[in-house]
Amino acid sequence: MPVWLREHSWRQSLAAVYLSLPLRGARATPANIFCGEQYLKVSIPPFLFEAILYAPIDDTNSTAKIGNGSIFFTLYKKEPAMWDSLTLANADKEKLQYLRENAVLKAQEKAKEETEAKKITKQEHKKYALEATMKLEEAERKRIEDLKEKERQKVAKELELWKNQQKDADKYKSIQKRGELHQEIEPIKERKKEKMNKTGISNEGISKTRLKSTKGCHGSCSMFSQNLKEEQLPAPRSAATIKVNFTPRVFPTALRESRVAEEEEWLHKQAEARRIINSDLSELEDLKEEEKNPDWLKDKGNKMFAMGNYLGAVNAYNLAVRLNNKLPLLYLNRAACHLKLRNLHKAIEDSSKALELLTPPVPDNENARVKAHVRRGTAFCQLELYTEGLQDYEAALKISPKNENIEKDAEKIRHLIQGTMQSS
Amino acid sequence: MSAAVGSERPQVVLHVQQALSYTMFDCKWVPRSARLLCLGSAARGTGIAQLYELHGARLELLREIEKPKPIKCGTFGATSLQQRYLATGDFAGNLNIWNLEAPEIPVYSVKGHKEIINSIDGVGGLGIGEGAPEIVTGSRDGTVKVWDPRQKDTPVANMEPVEGESKRDCWTVAFGNAYNQEERVVCAGYDNGDIKLFDLKSMSLRWETNIKNGVCSVEFDRKDINMNKLVATSLEGKFHVFDMRTQHPTKGFASVSEKAQKSTIWQVRHLPQNRDIFMTSGGSGSLHLWKYEYPAQRSKKDSEGSEMGVAGSVSLLQNVTLSTQPISSLDWSPDKKGLCVCGAFDQTVRVLIVTKLNKI
Repeated sequence: MPVWLREHSWRQSLAAVYLSLPLRGARATPANIFCGEQYLKVSIPPFLFEAILYAPIDDTNSTAKIGNGSIFFTLYKKEPAMWDSLTLANADKEKLQYLRENAVLKAQEKAKEETEAKKITKQEHKKYALEATMKLEEAERKRIEDLKEKERQKVAKELELWKNQQKDADKYKSIQKRGELHQEIEPIKERKKEKMNKTGISNEGISKTRLKSTKGCHGSCSMFSQNLKEEQLPAPRSAATIKVNFTPRVFPTALRESRVAEEEEWLHKQAEARRIINSDLSELEDLKEEEKNPDWLKDKGNKMFAMGNYLGAVNAYNLAVRLNNKLPLLYLNRAACHLKLRNLHKAIEDSSKALELLTPPVPDNENARVKAHVRRGTAFCQLELYTEGLQDYEAALKISPKNENIEKDAEKIRHLIQGTMQSS
Repeated sequence: MSAAVGSERPQVVLHVQQALSYTMFDCKWVPRSARLLCLGSAARGTGIAQLYELHGARLELLREIEKPKPIKCGTFGATSLQQRYLATGDFAGNLNIWNLEAPEIPVYSVKGHKEIINSIDGVGGLGIGEGAPEIVTGSRDGTVKVWDPRQKDTPVANMEPVEGESKRDCWTVAFGNAYNQEERVVCAGYDNGDIKLFDLKSMSLRWETNIKNGVCSVEFDRKDINMNKLVATSLEGKFHVFDMRTQHPTKGFASVSEKAQKSTIWQVRHLPQNRDIFMTSGGSGSLHLWKYEYPAQRSKKDSEGSEMGVAGSVSLLQNVTLSTQPISSLDWSPDKKGLCVCGAFDQTVRVLIVTKLNKI
């Protein structure tokens, strides 16, 4: 139940109503005051003051002053007239209700309108600010453009000037040339005769060209002076040839032509292979340092092969392979040993392993691949598997087509095949 | 365009731009005039040479000459100022010298090479330098030949690969060191990165090096002085500046290298009026203006007491992107400082003016 505040006092003038409302100790804030066109309410819970005004007031301009424990209202009348009383006398509940609602609605509308108006003004301000900055930037840009234009024009003018100078110089030169031509024809002819006598050239038939190329007396711009120089020019150089060599590359192809990716891969593999040492050291502890080096072992093997000690060579290669099973040359050489020892199946195996390791196929490992194919081919033939042998020989030929031995052997095998086919 | 106009850096101003109906391979200023020459290849496979004159803000076509074979390169370097004959190399390996007033028959013609002449240079003409006028051509057949217009059919010097050696394309040639009547040097760049310096006085190879990437363009800063600097540009955006005053017996010449653009640097050209400023043109359609600064001491002694050169440093003065296609040819005007013409593969020729070069 609200507590009504009734100790209000009021007075009026023609245009305004002055209402004083003492608050019984309650503190009032602007939020507690609600004022419509014909309705006034102050609600500070639990206190409540409400008044339906006699006549409408201008609520936008009216003021309320909070202080000294009371609120002092200054309400400006819409129509200047003296009110009989502050409030409407015969206010029944319904009318009250209606008026209240109306007032509230109206207040809400007003609030909405105000926010709208604020928004609009804000937008306009923003737009204005934007336009102002744009203008400034435009001005700046224009200034720069102007400077550039000026520069350009200046430069273009200079160019024109220079060009005209050139034209004039040309004209002057051509006039001078003609003038001198006329002037000097006579003395030149004489000079020419003189000169010819001096140099002993008796052939007057070449006079036409010679006339042009005789010595000029003076005149740096005349066309004769150029020939002055010509007389003094050294004779053409005696012809000579200089032979050049071009820088060799690891792979003799230019960067743009090379199959770099494959070549890189090959080099990489080689490097990797050399680094691997796969062995169980327990068995090999009693070996000397150098005997653990696959390269050294390979060399040993090669030497033994050369001396005919094939079994020894195989042993050396076996140990080397145990130490490092990624070096294709080991398998290649071991295949050769097996061939000599007539271990044909082993030869085939080793050549195959070697070929496997010799991928990717690059010019660098051409030789090795040819050898591997030839050895495998020989092994096949000795096993009388002539077709497989021929296949290998043809592969070898593809890699190095100019090798005559391979050619001859391939021919032989072909004959053999044809011979066996005929007989079977 | 970078940097505010108010600063002191040189600016590259595009003065005229002209669209062409053919692919232009080379452009050259006609000496002592405001005329320029565009050389190239028409779509129908013939060679075109067009002579333009600068008129205000546009180029006026004065003359068009058509020849059976596309023209790759040209030079005025070996002709006198009065005659101004143009020497051209074409796609079939022919070297021709033309009188532009009467271009029907060449003044000199020889089938110099078996394949396209990639580059040509001339020395001894235009009142610059001393000695006989000579023309050098470098071709895809791996040979570099020096010609004298007074001697028909045979070159006066021939730099060819040893028999049996696989040949490498020669992409660029340049004359240098022509400071008196006898001395002359030819520098050639090849597609495998070789740079070779041939001495024509002693007819021998004086120096060679390899810069790993194909050499697109070489130029001495001046042809007619004791050789001072050589700039070599290559694929992959690198160029090298060699200091040619001091040759070490084993290490050769000192150099500084700079990686400028991500793409091939097609051409380098030194400013005729200032030999320490040069412009490089790139495959991305951009031009870079550089300045070389000399070191405090140009040579020093190494551990064995022999003289060794010291390379200086290069700084970028300005760069500008003009086109989306590579700018394949560039030429400074010898008469007006800062005026240059460039041609790109987008079939346009552009005349540019570089300002504020006096203040460097």
